[in-house]
Amino acid sequence: MKKILSIGMIRGLLAQVVGMAIGFGLVTLLQTLTGQPLKAEPAWVVGGFISALSFLTGLGIFNDWFRMARGDEVPEPEEVEEPRGLRRYWGVSYDHKVIGVQYAFLSLFLLAMGGSFALIFRVELAQAGLQFLSFNLFNTLIGLHGMVLIASILMGISAISNYVIPLIIGARDMAFPRLNAFSFWVAVPGALLLVFSLALGGFETGWTGYPPLSVRGPMGVQMFFLGVWFVGWSSILGALNLITTILRMRSKGMGYFRMPILAWAVLSTSIIALTATQMIGLSFQLVLFERLLGMGFFDPAQGGNPILFQHLFWFYSHPAVYIFVLPGLGVVSELLPVFVRKPLFGYRWVAMSSFGIGLVGFLVWAHHMFAAGMEEYLRVPFMYSTLLVAVPTGVKFFSWTATIWQGRMRLQTPMLFLIGAIVIFLLGGITGPLLGTVSTDLHATDTYYVVGHFHATMFGGYVFPFFAALYYWYPKITGRRMSERLGKWHFWLLFIGFMVMSLGQMRIGLLGMRRRIADYDPALGFQLPNLIITLAGFAVALSVLLLFINMFRSARKGEPATGNLWESRSPEWQIPSPTPAHNFSGEVVVTGDPYDYGLEGAPGYVRLEADLTHSPQPAD
Amino acid sequence: MTGERKPRRVLIASANPLFGKGLMKLYGERWQQQAIQSRLASSMEETLAALDSWQPDLVIVDYDDRAIHREEFLSHFITGSRPMQVILVSLQESGAVVVYDRRTLTPAQANDWLNLPWQPEPSSNPPSRRTPKMKGNTRHLLIAGLLVIVSTAVLYFLLTSIGLLPEEASQQAATIDRLFNAHFFMISLLFSMIVVFLVYSIVVFRSKPGEKTEGAYIKGNNRLEILWTIIPLGTVIAFSFFGARNLAETRKAEPQALNIRVVAFQWGWSFEYSDFGVTSRELYLPVDRQALLSLTSRDVIHSFWVPEFRVKQDALPGENLVKQLRITPTRIGNYTVMCAELCGGAHAYMNAPVKVVSKADFDQWLGTQVSAVITDPVERGKKWAENTGCISCHSLDGKKLVGPTWKGLYGETVTLADGTTVVADETYLRTAILDPNAQITQGYPANVMPSNYSSLLTDDQINDLIEYIKSIH
Repeated sequence: MKKILSIGMIRGLLAQVVGMAIGFGLVTLLQTLTGQPLKAEPAWVVGGFISALSFLTGLGIFNDWFRMARGDEVPEPEEVEEPRGLRRYWGVSYDHKVIGVQYAFLSLFLLAMGGSFALIFRVELAQAGLQFLSFNLFNTLIGLHGMVLIASILMGISAISNYVIPLIIGARDMAFPRLNAFSFWVAVPGALLLVFSLALGGFETGWTGYPPLSVRGPMGVQMFFLGVWFVGWSSILGALNLITTILRMRSKGMGYFRMPILAWAVLSTSIIALTATQMIGLSFQLVLFERLLGMGFFDPAQGGNPILFQHLFWFYSHPAVYIFVLPGLGVVSELLPVFVRKPLFGYRWVAMSSFGIGLVGFLVWAHHMFAAGMEEYLRVPFMYSTLLVAVPTGVKFFSWTATIWQGRMRLQTPMLFLIGAIVIFLLGGITGPLLGTVSTDLHATDTYYVVGHFHATMFGGYVFPFFAALYYWYPKITGRRMSERLGKWHFWLLFIGFMVMSLGQMRIGLLGMRRRIADYDPALGFQLPNLIITLAGFAVALSVLLLFINMFRSARKGEPATGNLWESRSPEWQIPSPTPAHNFSGEVVVTGDPYDYGLEGAPGYVRLEADLTHSPQPAD
Repeated sequence: MTGERKPRRVLIASANPLFGKGLMKLYGERWQQQAIQSRLASSMEETLAALDSWQPDLVIVDYDDRAIHREEFLSHFITGSRPMQVILVSLQESGAVVVYDRRTLTPAQANDWLNLPWQPEPSSNPPSRRTPKMKGNTRHLLIAGLLVIVSTAVLYFLLTSIGLLPEEASQQAATIDRLFNAHFFMISLLFSMIVVFLVYSIVVFRSKPGEKTEGAYIKGNNRLEILWTIIPLGTVIAFSFFGARNLAETRKAEPQALNIRVVAFQWGWSFEYSDFGVTSRELYLPVDRQALLSLTSRDVIHSFWVPEFRVKQDALPGENLVKQLRITPTRIGNYTVMCAELCGGAHAYMNAPVKVVSKADFDQWLGTQVSAVITDPVERGKKWAENTGCISCHSLDGKKLVGPTWKGLYGETVTLADGTTVVADETYLRTAILDPNAQITQGYPANVMPSNYSSLLTDDQINDLIEYIKSIH
């Protein structure tokens, strides 16, 4: 028993159940004592809130901070004794590499879950008629599919950023290791609450949670709000940590324009996440209050306005799309030079384009609302700003193309995924302007066209680069390579499956298939396309299953990875795999440019020194 | 080596006199027949001062010397424009010799470079292998460019011929589809541009398995980058401009629009022809006449969408949030309005029939509807009079407007323009409505009242109108 309780995750889960009971009991008791009619919703909301905090307390993430508050000595994060082996990953660790792997595991877990939700409702949609889902369950599943995968994406980019950023900027850890661990762990009870909404009747609003619908429906929506609220904290604090790390912990000689391009991408993403995420937490919190306390923020009958919610919501949720894709695009820019053996074309332009996208991304949110009924004249300026996003995005595409042009491309698995990322993100990109010009958007909005377009941007901007990163850095993490053969199967199945799925969705969308419908009129002729889309969806799922098998098998049986596997100039490949504790034994000095491939006799990007005196120390 | 030679200036920066002097001697021995000027600098300030004032061609830096601030030196080195080279030499580690060239960062190892004959004209320094490469590159670019054109044409043809959009059944749809076509062209062009170059590179330039060659060393091209920033910028501004014009065209208001209040609710639609007091579960629209829909909702947000009409508008709850949408149907047929905004539960089934019918059929339908609602023909006549616009010219209180008043008209004797008189009975009234110029009342000009009411009103409606006129005393 004691041995089981020594695992942080288990302590946290038990504490979460207890916390839920305490919160629920407390509210019920108060209601009984004051003679109020017993209402379950407030009890669940308070229970849910306390349960998440209990999870974190039970886990022990607050212990050091409590000690500091009391004035006790706490060890430096680097010196904390942590359990050995796999058990390290099931509790609090301050090592950025462990946290990176934890993020990756949670991300893949949520990916499998969110993807499975999609498979369920895709089977329902494979033919006309309502077969086995109820309206409510269908709506809950589409909403959870969206939000669980958003959480998965946030965890995925945190995985890449956490594991890779300190390594490629030559740091020994993140700037705030304790905060780093907290950022990860706060997402775990958040994700649990999100899924718990299923048990409380689900919700029928989709991931957007628009009131007044979200004010009326089943109370599962409250758990959905709470879950997003906690996951949002993870994103905000993680961003804060990454910004500090990138600004303050770079190795000697690494001026801003000598940073790896991925650091630029993560920096711009983190700035967006730090400044925008509050908005979604806030907007959901307002609806939560409206339901719970009758505050009519969005109720026209009480002087509220439902469009206000949409403004608040999209003010985060549009930039969020760039939070999702910028690190992915950064991975593409980072890995392309390694695999085409050429310098990144126009490094400064690519770096600045990330900032350009981030900046313009803040000015376009209302393009989600062209048909929503906001002031009509507002639609025109938002059309201009929306199409403007094409300019920095174009710079990226053209620079990639110029990088690839005449490159001696090595078609290994990560490179295949980079090609997939470029082609599919291109598909997502070029199908966007049609949604940006108002009058065409009035036809295409709220249809499967948007579904196809959005999934193309997510797969091209996140999923494919994330998989490329997994294949590329997996040997760095485990010391073993993943199977190339399975990797290629994974790629082709995913690429073809996704293309069929996405193009099919766009096609039926333009012809008149609405989003988020549990059933459709067979007379519209969408039966066959929907069946094909469902089958393609299963191909995508199967490909991800291949990835899991590959990861699992290669961890023990994979070909050992020694030395600079991909012949990269980046610092992490100049040290052994798996990455040793505290990464670099001495100072990392930048002596050249990061992507000088193809230049005979070029100075290396970094020189690793054996002396320890100048290494940046993480602060907490 | 021909031509006159300027003495070559070599600056050696090191606080270590052995290093500096030794190197100076070594260098001098190696190139003794050449004109060389060398100088020693033992501190940072001295080095930077010498960089600016003396302008050396080559700087050799003792890399182990902590007195030389490397970053400061490097930034000084990079920001200058005069051609110059720098060698970093370390005595402690083998191989730690690095050559920097200010203009090109030329690929050369330190030793190779030392053995190169010194060239007085720096412009001939960059590697000469670039020129033949460019020729091959031009050929590749040409082929790829041609493929882009072909691919764009094929894709655009495909996109516009496979029927991507539903039938075009409104004026707004025709306008919007023009913009759709422009988008389809851009999609074809951009997709081809990137994918052709990508695939071409993979096919032509990729490494064969096991091959370990490196790619061409091209770090970028600012002119190209500016070009592919400016051109897209111009394109998106143009697209936005035409997008705005296109939007304005779809919103063009016609004064004679038919007012319909659309009420959405979980989960259905109701359509109120408020001018006639008619409420219907089916949306009847006369062809070629603009309908001005005023959308509202009884509960949550819904969205009005008929794919064949293209335009879409959300319906919001709240009396202050009534939203308008203009549609001018152009094709007679049966369509479906569907709710396009997730509204919970039976969202999927929130449909209602839309029937676009001829003017005559619409009037007949409306007549039937009104008759069903209002049994009194006088009341019905009043509706027709208000909605057909009769009462803007004919007063009900005896006032003289554009046309004669209706007050007490029935049964009265009317003096006509030619001096004859006629009793205003039903026959007279019918003639006056259908053929207004036949019997012009004295004091009123001819050819003012439209003479097309036979096509605008059904017989029943005219009967109702006559009953209404009869009732005004």
